[in-house]
Amino acid sequence: MNQPLILIIEDEESLRRFLVPTLISQHYQVLCAATATEGLALARSHNPDLVLLDLGLPDRDGMTVLKELRTWSRKPVLILSARNQERDKVRALDQGADDYLAKPFGAGELLARIRVALRHTHLLDVPEPVLEGGALRIDLAGREVSREGRAIKLTALEYRLLEALARRNGKVATHRQLLADVWGPGGEGNTHYLRIYMAMLRKKLEADPTRPRHFITEPNVGYRLNLEAPRD
Amino acid sequence: MEAPARPILVALGSEARSLRLLQAALRLARERSAPWIAVHVETSGTGLPEDREQVEVWLQEAQRLGAELRIVQAPTLAQGLSELTRSTRAQVLLLGRSRDRWPWARVGHSTADELQRRGLDAHLEVMDDRAGVTSSEEPPIRLGAMVGALSVLTAASGLAWLVPREGSLALVLPVFLAAVTFIAHRWGQRLAVLASVLSSLIYNFLLETPRFTRTAAHWPNLLFFLATLLATQAVVGLLQRLRNQAREVHRREVHTASLYLLGRALARGRTLEEVATTAAEHIQRVFKVRACLLFPQGEAWRAVPPPSLDPGLPTPGELLPLLDVGERQGDPLEPLTLGSTYCLSLMGTDRSEGVLQILPGATPGLPPETWELLKAFAVQIALALERLRWLEEARRAQVESETERMRSTLLGAIGHDLRTPLAAIHGAAGSLLLPGHVPETARRDLLTMIQDESERLAHLLGNLLDLTRLESGAIAVQKEWQPLEEVIGAALGRLERRQGSLPIRVDLPESFPLVPLDAALIEQVLVNLIANAQQHAPGQEMELRAWSEPGWIHLEVADQGPGIPAEFQERVFGKFFRLPGSGEGGVGLGLAICRAIVAAHGGRIQVRNRPGGGSSFSFALPLDGTPPPLPEVP
Repeated sequence: MNQPLILIIEDEESLRRFLVPTLISQHYQVLCAATATEGLALARSHNPDLVLLDLGLPDRDGMTVLKELRTWSRKPVLILSARNQERDKVRALDQGADDYLAKPFGAGELLARIRVALRHTHLLDVPEPVLEGGALRIDLAGREVSREGRAIKLTALEYRLLEALARRNGKVATHRQLLADVWGPGGEGNTHYLRIYMAMLRKKLEADPTRPRHFITEPNVGYRLNLEAPRD
Repeated sequence: MEAPARPILVALGSEARSLRLLQAALRLARERSAPWIAVHVETSGTGLPEDREQVEVWLQEAQRLGAELRIVQAPTLAQGLSELTRSTRAQVLLLGRSRDRWPWARVGHSTADELQRRGLDAHLEVMDDRAGVTSSEEPPIRLGAMVGALSVLTAASGLAWLVPREGSLALVLPVFLAAVTFIAHRWGQRLAVLASVLSSLIYNFLLETPRFTRTAAHWPNLLFFLATLLATQAVVGLLQRLRNQAREVHRREVHTASLYLLGRALARGRTLEEVATTAAEHIQRVFKVRACLLFPQGEAWRAVPPPSLDPGLPTPGELLPLLDVGERQGDPLEPLTLGSTYCLSLMGTDRSEGVLQILPGATPGLPPETWELLKAFAVQIALALERLRWLEEARRAQVESETERMRSTLLGAIGHDLRTPLAAIHGAAGSLLLPGHVPETARRDLLTMIQDESERLAHLLGNLLDLTRLESGAIAVQKEWQPLEEVIGAALGRLERRQGSLPIRVDLPESFPLVPLDAALIEQVLVNLIANAQQHAPGQEMELRAWSEPGWIHLEVADQGPGIPAEFQERVFGKFFRLPGSGEGGVGLGLAICRAIVAAHGGRIQVRNRPGGGSSFSFALPLDGTPPPLPEVP
C-alpha cells in the first residue's frame, strides 16, 4: 500500500498529540519534528509527500524552513499559523507554501486541506480538464463555463481570473499571485481591480453574490475557489 | 555606641524673624547631625489671636522641616526656656533678640540676660532682628559725619553772627533749625541730637548778649532753644518714618499685585511649557531681566523658553547638588551665581521642581528687596509646577485604577468564562475515558460538547486577543478600496460555515461605491453584530442593510429581539458589559471590539431600538480619499 507520508514540523506538543492520531486514523503515514533543524533533516531523509509547517518554531523561523524546502522539493507545504501571524502567512503563501490553516482548526478542515493539497500534486502533471461542483461546471480545455447547465459568457479578464483560481482548485490564491497571473508582472498594486473582477465573477456565477458558495474570500490573504459541496 | 547628639532648641514667637530662626536651627541641626526642637513658650502676657495663629504657622513649618515641637507654659519666656533647656539637655538655644519698646528695658532685662543669670547649660545664640525696611536703624556715627556736621554748625554759627543782636532768638533759631534738620537728614538723628545740644551751647555762649557769659537770665532762652530744636528733630524723624512706611506700603502693594498677577497667570497654565513661558514673561516684565526655567532631562537641561541663558551651564548632576547646598544653608531659595547668570532652585513643598535661571539686565546685581520678590516669584512658580505634577500624577493614578478595575473585571470574567468550558471539556473527556462501553449516542453527545466548548473557548480567547491588540495599536488598520458585498459575503460565509444557514436578509443597493476599509476587521464587526443579533433573537429574521450618503457609507444589522433599554445603549459598547439576564455565552467583548474597529476606521457606531421592536446596530465609515480609477469594463 502506498500511503502518503506527512511530515509535521510543530513545536507544540499538544498540537502534535492531536495531529498524529488524527492523521494516522485517516491512514496517512506520519513523521514528527519539534524543531526546524530536525524537520529539515527528516524532510531530506524521507522526502515526505506533504509538510505541515508551523511558522513559530523555537530554533529558526518557519519561513527559512520553507525557503530551504523549496530549493529542492515541490511537494505541498501547509502552513499552520497562529492568530498574530497574518502577515507571515501571506508571505509564506507568496513564497511557495500551498495553503494555510489558522489555529485553532478542526480535524475536518485539516483533512480537507490535506486532500486538496495532495490532489493538487497530481494535477500538476495532468491538469484536470473539467471541474465540477454545485451548479458550476468549468471546462478549462474548452474554455467554457456554465451554471445550472446554462453557458455563461465571461470577458477575457474574468476568464483569466477564473482560470487562475481553478488551477489552484480548492487551494488559496493570494492577491499577489492572482494579480500576477491575470494582469502580469507590475499589476500587483491594483488589488481593487481584483476585487472588482471578483465581484463581477460572483454576480455571474454565484446564486447570491453576497453569500458566495464557490468564490470564498480569505480576508487580507486572497481567494479560494471551492467546488466541494458545502459542509452541513 | 555613640550617645545621641544633644538637641538644638529654637524658641519661636509670632514674629516674622521666626523663619530665619527656623532656617538657622535647621542648618545647625544638619551640621551637627543633632535633632532639633522648636519651642513656643506661652506666657501669661501673650495671647492675641492672630499672634497665636502665626505661631501655629511657624510651628507647622518647623515640623515640616523635621523639628520636634514643644509648647511650654511659664510665667516668663526665660523661665520656660531655661527649664526646657535643662530637661532636654540641649546643646544650643537659639533665640531672637526682642525689640523692646523702651531702651532702658534692654539693659540687663532681656530674656538673654535673664537666661544667663539663670545659669544656662547650653550655648546661647541670639539672632539679631534684621527684618524689614520699616525699622529705621540708626547708622553708627562716623568721623566724616561728625566733621560734616561740625562744618554745617560752624557755617550756621557764622551766619547767626551776622544777625543783629536785638531780638536775636527769633532770627537765630531758624538758622540752627535748618542746620540741624539738614544734619538729621544727611547723617541721622543721633548726630542731629548732638548737634542740637551743641547749637544750644553755641547760641548761649556766642550769640546771646552779653557774649561769652553764662548768666541765670540766659536759662529760659537756652532751654527754649534746645527744646525747639529737639522737638523739630522728633517731628522730622516721625515724618521720615512715615515716609519710609508709605514707601514700604507702596512697595508691598506693587509686590502683592505682581505676585497676584503672576499667580493668576500661572494658574491658567495647563502644561509645563505654558507655565514656564508665563513665568519668564512675568519676570521679564516686573524685573526687567531675562529668565528661563530649566528642567533636568537625563544629563542635560531642557530650557523653557529655550534656549538656556547660559550655554556653559553645568549638568543637572553637577548643578542640583550645588543648589542643595543652598538648602543646607537654611535658605533653599538662596540664588547661586554662575558666571553672569543666577540660578534659583524652584523648591516646591517636597522637592525641587526645576531651576529658575536669571540673566540680569544692564545692572549686574539686583537690590535686596527685589531679590525678596524674586524669591516669592520662585515659590509661586514652583507651586504652579508642583500643581501640574500632582495633576499629572492624579491622572496617572486614575488611569492606573481604571486599569486595575479592568484587570479585576477581566480576571473575574476569565475566571468564570474560561473555567466553565474547561470544566465541561475535562469532564466529558474523563467520561469517555472511563472503562466500559459508552453508548454511541452518549459518546457523540460528549464529543460534540467537547467540540462546542472548545470553540467557545477559542472564540473568547480570540476576542480578548483582538481587543488587546486593537487597543495597544498592534493591529494597524490597512484600508483598501473594496466592494462592500465582498466583506458582507466573507462575514456571512464565515458564520454559515460555522453554524449553517442564517436567517438574514441582505439589502445592498446595486452599484454601491467602493469603500476604503480593512476587510478583515470590518468582517469581524459584521460577524460580531450578526452573532449578537442571533443570540438575542434566536431563529428570527435579521436584516443587513447598507446605504451611502456623500462622504459616508452606513451599515446596519437589525434584529427582532427585545431591544436594548435606553440606559444601556451607550454601555453595551463597554468592555465586559453584558445586558442583565442575557444568559450564557459571550463575555461582553464583541461590541467593544466593534467599537474599537469602527473608531480605528474614523467611523462611529451606535444602537437604537426599532419602532417595531428589536434593536438596530449601525455604523458609519468615512469615504475619505479619492477612489482608485476603475478598470474599463468591456
